[in-house]
Amino acid sequence: MIAQSGEEALRLALKNDFAVILLDVRMPGIDGFETARLIRSRERSSQTPVIFLTAAADEMASMFRGYEVGAVDYLMKPVVPEVLKSKVAVFVELHRKSERLRESEDKLRRLAAHLISIREEERAHIAREIHDELGQVLTGLKMEVGWLAKRLTSEELIEKTDSMGKLIDSTVQTVRKIATGLRPEMLDDMGLIAAVGWQAKEFQKRTGIRCRVKLPPEVKLDIDVSTTMFRIFQEILTNVARHSRATRVDIELKVAVEQVALDVADNGVGISDGDMSGKKSLGLLGMHERALLFGGDVRISGSAGHGTRVSVSIPLRGKA
Amino acid sequence: MKVIIADDHPVVRQGLRQMLAAESDFSVVGEAKNGQEVVELSRRVPWEVAVLDYNMPGKNGLELIKELRQRYPGRAVLILSMYPEDRYAVRALKAGAAGYLTKESAPEELVSAIRKVAGGGRYVTPTLGEKLALELEDNRGKPLHETLSDREYQVMWMIASGKTVRQIADELFLSPNTVSTHRTRILRKMNMKSNAELMHYAIAHHLVD
Repeated sequence: MIAQSGEEALRLALKNDFAVILLDVRMPGIDGFETARLIRSRERSSQTPVIFLTAAADEMASMFRGYEVGAVDYLMKPVVPEVLKSKVAVFVELHRKSERLRESEDKLRRLAAHLISIREEERAHIAREIHDELGQVLTGLKMEVGWLAKRLTSEELIEKTDSMGKLIDSTVQTVRKIATGLRPEMLDDMGLIAAVGWQAKEFQKRTGIRCRVKLPPEVKLDIDVSTTMFRIFQEILTNVARHSRATRVDIELKVAVEQVALDVADNGVGISDGDMSGKKSLGLLGMHERALLFGGDVRISGSAGHGTRVSVSIPLRGKA
Repeated sequence: MKVIIADDHPVVRQGLRQMLAAESDFSVVGEAKNGQEVVELSRRVPWEVAVLDYNMPGKNGLELIKELRQRYPGRAVLILSMYPEDRYAVRALKAGAAGYLTKESAPEELVSAIRKVAGGGRYVTPTLGEKLALELEDNRGKPLHETLSDREYQVMWMIASGKTVRQIADELFLSPNTVSTHRTRILRKMNMKSNAELMHYAIAHHLVD
């Protein structure tokens, strides 16, 4: 595409993605430098390479200025077509490659999102099946055994039905534990706020790490946002238990009109930058990806001896 | 005593029916398998006590309790649930249920629970009763374990979980001496003499599983 002036170039750059932009330094109105600066200040065209065309050698002095505003090259006029062609070809190829990279990143992200949501659905489904079907049958069985026990007179047989009853009870407990582990029914019945409180209590019971929890009054939140927040919370706690050597965790959940925010701080050894970028940080990556799905954000900060703080925020799209 | 029973699972309804059939002064006047059916049934037949599953398809448990309480303030709703009472019972009672029992405890407790709520009383299991009592106690003053520091709390939890001083020292990267010092301080702060006493306290206050 061809523009006759800086203004026109800007207009075109607003509406189109270019592999490379050739700019004359001297143009009527806005000059080439200013045009390049404006073009690169836009999100859409911030990475677009700019090649400046200059008429005279004295303008070489301003080359630095050109590089500052994002020039990748300079060409002297008169332009040799072969040179121009091969330079442009390089950038066109680069553009095509980065485009392809972006596409495949996008695909991977969508795939990850899909996998997360499938896994969540599957877990919920299995939890419901196990809990409802298996649990109810066991309940029925317990009642039958109870009925039988009432009609027995032999002490030996009554002892048997008693131990059957106990076995059924412990099986029900196991079923409940499995189902809750897959997906806590609290999340669906009572919502995120109650579920976070419950999870913190369970965590303290399981690890001996004391939790101080600050929760807002209960409100109904979007179930997908709730699930996302809850899973991130679980991942944070898993990390605390595994790596932090903390004796205490402070948890705060805040719900505002536009977003829900979770802040978890421990008093452990503190996460290092190496931990965050290391190969073992897949869990952290998972948290980021989950949050990103809903336009949210996870920030992790830590310093040796001062514990780790994880702050998560997820916007609520007017669904609160 | 006229009783309605509601549960979406036939096996459970059958079990309930059988249990109640053994009592000569009870009669099951109707059965429902979801919230909507309960509402219709409650209008159609005369009843005194409704025994409801907390989680049926359609209306959720709390809504159903509220609706029945509003229409029939003098009659009792007893909740029967697969879910542990520590998480759900208080909510159900607040919503107006006269009692809450888990399905596991039904064979032993159901009949006496129905009699109790039919007489205008409230029914909670002894376990829940104890828990509510403890909470009241805790509200009056700081519970003993809250006087411990975070580290002491952790050591207390480990002792209560049955770990030895050696194991605790290894897990926390502390010397056995330090752990012993913590232990002495914990026992003093909590006014106790032995690990066994500590364990008992931790279980009673649901600090360990």
